[in-house]
Amino acid sequence: MTATTDRAAPTTRLWDLPVRLVHWSFALLVPLLWWTAESGKLDLHKNLGLVMLALVAFRLLWGVVGSDTARFARFLEGPAAIRNYLAGLRSSDHAPVVGHNPLGGWSVIGLLTLLALQVSLGLFAQDTDGVKSGPLNYLVTWDTAKALSEAHEVGFNLILALVALHLAAIFYYRVMRREDLISPMVTGQRRFAVPVAAPRMAPLWRAAVCAMLAGGLAVWLSTGLALPWDKPPAAPPPPADYM
Amino acid sequence: MKPSPLLILAALLVPVTSVALAASPAGIIKVRHQNFEGMGRAMKGLFDELRKPAPNFAVFKASATVLANSAPRIANHFPKGSGPESGLKTDALPAIWQKPGEFTAATNRLVGTTQALQAAVASGNVMQVSKAAGDVGGSCKNCHDTFRKPR
Ligand code: HEC
Ligand code: HEM
Repeated sequence: MTATTDRAAPTTRLWDLPVRLVHWSFALLVPLLWWTAESGKLDLHKNLGLVMLALVAFRLLWGVVGSDTARFARFLEGPAAIRNYLAGLRSSDHAPVVGHNPLGGWSVIGLLTLLALQVSLGLFAQDTDGVKSGPLNYLVTWDTAKALSEAHEVGFNLILALVALHLAAIFYYRVMRREDLISPMVTGQRRFAVPVAAPRMAPLWRAAVCAMLAGGLAVWLSTGLALPWDKPPAAPPPPADYM
Repeated sequence: MKPSPLLILAALLVPVTSVALAASPAGIIKVRHQNFEGMGRAMKGLFDELRKPAPNFAVFKASATVLANSAPRIANHFPKGSGPESGLKTDALPAIWQKPGEFTAATNRLVGTTQALQAAVASGNVMQVSKAAGDVGGSCKNCHDTFRKPR
């Protein structure tokens, strides 16, 4: 057994606050982004999309300088480790995995890559009315932007597919293996039946620095890469209710 | 020289077949897509130019001309039978033929705003161009919201 509901087992701090906040924001933002796009609320869609961009950028930074369980270098493993892990799942006693297991780690990378790709495509996406296009749309031709918008549409379906896989895996652990993965992602704590080495947690000031960098990037992209010495545009963009 | 009957027949057939081709649902849909894409490009050209600190009015003028010329053509681009019932790839909604009055009004609104855009460009005032461009965009959106399949 890797985990236990045994109340006597000591709790281990597994996921830090930034990882949990980013995770639940993703869960909230993906449906919201879909809904705002489908109902034509493109201004809201672009603003939430930029929040998503900042979160993805933050998570990528946090994967390098964050707590142990957030770091890519800690949870990305090769095919041999994945095979061992899968073999271990079939036997009843295997060493507990503190953090992402070798397969789950790749699903994290998959989702983050798709989200990063999706927000990048959104920056260039084209509103057919030509008014509410993404902030970098002006850098590419109409035809290129049309192709990128179509990729933005396909990208969403790929995200949905990975999210479905992600939920299926959580369901499998819950039902087949009686492991609750959801509560630790809420509380950050998890009980292990055997003593485990506690993951090292990164200080929050470091998260604040990453958040500022990520937020700054999103704001800068939203201006269409404007530089401080650039002259302002001749006209402000049309108001949100340009109808 | 007396023209041969064959030549006369051929001369008669060429326009007939080309009209028939253009009048086929596939031809109609192709032509109307080209017209809309041209307007899409013109809108992008207009808004890209509005981003610049010192926009070039020749670009505004070219875009406004394309828009004003293309807008009235919409009226002839949706004959009966060129909707989804044709089985061809189209985002046109049946509402176009169910509410012809509203569809005509939406077309006329675009014709009006594109003419206003031309006038704004002629005025040489960037702020007026920006406002008129927003109104044109609003006319596109107004029609798409009701008559085009949401994407
Ligand atoms: C009176 C209604 C109406 C107005 C006004 C209108 N459109 Fe459309 N538009 C449509 C319909 C209907 C379609 C779907 C046509 C189809 O798929 O057969 C469409 C499709 C399009 C397409 C996609 C064409 C393609 O290749 O699939 C573009 C781009 C477009 N419109 C741009 C614009 C722009 C830009 C404006 C304003 C300058 C505008 N439209 C104004 C009704 C309108
Ligand atoms: C992970 C984040 C995002 C998700 C899940 C997402 C999702 C979507 C979806 C589902 C659509 C509708 C596509 C269609 O059916 O045509 C769409 C359209 C659009 N998105 Fe995003 N989006 C994201 C980020 C962004 C960002 C960051 C921007 C720009 C700042 C952006 C700009 C646009 C624009 C302009 C459209 C309209 C273009 C079109 O209709 O194809 N998106 N998005």
